[in-house]
Amino acid sequence: MKKNILIALATIGILTSCKNETKDTINKEVSLKEVNVYTHRHYPTDQELFAQFENQTGIKVNVVNASADELMQKMMQEGEQSPADVLITVDAGRLVKATDENLLQPISSETLNTTIPEHLRAENGEWYGLTKRARVLAYAKDRVQPEDLSTYENLANADWKGKILVRSSGNIYNQSLMASIIANNGKEAAKAWAEKVVGNMARNPKGNDRDQIKAVVAGEGDIAIVNTYYIGKLLNSKDPVEVKAGERVGIFFPNQNGRGTHINISGAGVAKYAPNKENAIAFIEYLASKEAQEVFAKANYEYPVNPAVSASPLLQSWGNFKEDTLSLSELGKNNKSAVMLFDVVGWK
Amino acid sequence: MFKGIISIPKLHIRRDTNKWSIITLIIVCFVAIPVITIAIKLLMGPGESWGHIVENVLLDYSLNTLFLSVGCIILTGFFGVSAAWIVSRYHIPLGKTLEWMLILPLAMPSYITAYAYAGLFDYGGTFQRILESIGLPAARLSVMNMYGLIVVLSVSLFPYVYVSARAVFLYQSNRLIEASKMLGAGETKTFFTLILPIARPAIVGGLILVIMEVLNDYGAAKYYGVSTFTTGIFRSWFSLAEPATAVYLSALLLLVVFLLLYFESKQRGNKGYATLTKSAVQLPKLKVSKRRAFFLSSIASIPVILGFVIPVGQLCYWAVLTYAEVLNASFFKIALQSLGIAVITGVITVFFAVLILYIPKWNRLKILKKSSRIAILGYAIPGAVIAIGIMIPTLALDKWLIEISNQLFHIDIGLLLNGTIFILIYAYVIRFMAVAFNPLKGSSIKISEGLAESSQLLGAGKLKTFFKIEFPLLKTGLFSAFILVFVDAMKELPLTLILKPYDVNTLAVKAYEFASDELILESSIPSLCIIATGVVPIIVLNRLILK
Repeated sequence: MKKNILIALATIGILTSCKNETKDTINKEVSLKEVNVYTHRHYPTDQELFAQFENQTGIKVNVVNASADELMQKMMQEGEQSPADVLITVDAGRLVKATDENLLQPISSETLNTTIPEHLRAENGEWYGLTKRARVLAYAKDRVQPEDLSTYENLANADWKGKILVRSSGNIYNQSLMASIIANNGKEAAKAWAEKVVGNMARNPKGNDRDQIKAVVAGEGDIAIVNTYYIGKLLNSKDPVEVKAGERVGIFFPNQNGRGTHINISGAGVAKYAPNKENAIAFIEYLASKEAQEVFAKANYEYPVNPAVSASPLLQSWGNFKEDTLSLSELGKNNKSAVMLFDVVGWK
Repeated sequence: MFKGIISIPKLHIRRDTNKWSIITLIIVCFVAIPVITIAIKLLMGPGESWGHIVENVLLDYSLNTLFLSVGCIILTGFFGVSAAWIVSRYHIPLGKTLEWMLILPLAMPSYITAYAYAGLFDYGGTFQRILESIGLPAARLSVMNMYGLIVVLSVSLFPYVYVSARAVFLYQSNRLIEASKMLGAGETKTFFTLILPIARPAIVGGLILVIMEVLNDYGAAKYYGVSTFTTGIFRSWFSLAEPATAVYLSALLLLVVFLLLYFESKQRGNKGYATLTKSAVQLPKLKVSKRRAFFLSSIASIPVILGFVIPVGQLCYWAVLTYAEVLNASFFKIALQSLGIAVITGVITVFFAVLILYIPKWNRLKILKKSSRIAILGYAIPGAVIAIGIMIPTLALDKWLIEISNQLFHIDIGLLLNGTIFILIYAYVIRFMAVAFNPLKGSSIKISEGLAESSQLLGAGKLKTFFKIEFPLLKTGLFSAFILVFVDAMKELPLTLILKPYDVNTLAVKAYEFASDELILESSIPSLCIIATGVVPIIVLNRLILK
């Protein structure tokens, strides 16, 4: 019996010692200057920016990393007790969804409204874009003439049968592209488009954006639908083969004569029940500042949202492009229809 | 909730109720909470897109999952059983080394094996370079499809079958085999008509673990573009934003798992381990011709090479390219945190598994035996679903505590449980209870019940009997259980992502962060660390099985 009690005590001891440790940090949260950030971004540069923010303001940045969907589920479950101050996602669709689920609160910040263009932020200030990426076509330089490329709509053309490479529809960037096509052309047209693109695919969707580019170079198909950001990553890879693959594709910005190339953002909003609202606003303002935007632009092959900051030399070498100024809120509104359309047309 | 359940035995079977049965029921309740939460959610009906899912994708999910499971059963069954028989029956070159190397793939998270193979056969990958270097045309082998997925999952999961089959093969009665031979049956016939049927319950037990892992896989299937039930669960939960629909899909999956467990227990019940208890002597190994020994040795090496040597080689190559950027002080901190969490999880899970296993034995309450089945269900539920099943009730408790402390003491205590390591470990314990329970049950079955009965007849109490008689005999099972849970906790991803506290990170999460950012090369370092921390305990585990 004694031994049993000892074991029980030991277990309780272990459990409570772990608990106390974390309880302390929670208590601190109330008294100290800090900001709790739920983020889908997990790049080393982000950590540097957070550290700089800490140095400048003395506000400690606590980070929870997970996918945006999981973070949003977490915030929903936590409700009013949620310790989250800021939610950062890597696409606009999720930010709109978070707004619809009542997870974010509108803020008014003169700084943010002047630095961030209107179509890159929510009308009522629930969320703000921080960086941009464009969804472009990476084509085989030796097999495709850029003159033959024109629009996303053109990818439905029977000429491209067996030539198109794209990742699965579970990916948010594809969902947002589809949502923009629904918003611009209507549901019926979008469905017909997706059906034909599926018919033109070189293979079943699989892998990530980098894999699509490598498949173009390997000759599995001629055109890959990818984000600019990943081409940058490929060109700066540690693996020489990946660098070579990046060099062998050309980059085409679709719809330049029409509405412009589909773009998406990585952005942030203040949580509805943020315990440190002021710190949260200061934090987002810092990320939109010239100083932070320069870091974003340099390190991650993303386009800065702050017009005062120019893109990295690599991105500039691809030339300027006209971007679709469709309000990004539309991407969120049409997200669910996009996913369901993908299911219906069999875009895996 | 607890009150209701505890009062049932009191009302009906007063005589058989004691403090032990109550403790077990409380533990079972704690473990069953997520399952119950999901069941309640189920009663509330699916989301509005359920019709859409049934119409457009359900058939696809079901057929893919079925095909994948059957493929993995066949392949893991073949790899596991053949390797186990060869290393336990024959003197072969490298026999001793193969014995433990065959368990090593357990240390590999299957999604990492999947990444490694995709990279290996990629454009400009290692496979092409080897072909080029020996002057062959640079052909490409496509692995990112259903067949590739079956192979990748099978080579990472076959050790579950290997371990359980070998445990039976090793202690097979030689007299039985001799008798069979004297009656004129050859080696092959003896294996198929005698050995295999005797080992069947153990093999099926291993296969069930394989299926549960296959059903739970998300990373590998998603990357290879195969839509399964689990990718469907994530899709309806996150892409369609309908947790209720996701729960419905999980429930369908759970139903299948329930049926599997039911059949397994039925066939176990019929066969039992009668032959096992009688023979504690290891089967002497056969000597065969050199050529045959070499052939057998190569057959047994194939799964090790595919499941461990090749993927680890690929990861090492990537690690050489990227180590300078990944290894730093914060990385070592993460490694230590991972290790600590996995050790604590192992100890607690094994402790609870022993209670759940033993207390029903000391008790005549039927309900206890039944309820222990619920307690091991966690392994069948996708990690992300468990996370939600835990968050809903614990947040309710947290909110209730906040209200109470506000009213009574006027203090805001904040969330006491959620966002702490306590909840994370609680979730792990639920998830891995079956992993600890099965080897313990395996060892405990081998202990003759007469031993404990005699001890108690001689006046020793239940606890004294347990610690003096059963515990020493159970040691192997206890350590095996601990090691399996430890290795699984090191690899765990979906639960950890949702429930982990601030300032705590694990190697699996780090590897995932890199991979989800398409930095597959960089993810090799945390992956190799997970594998390395798994390899040593697995070698220890092998020693324990041999003892």
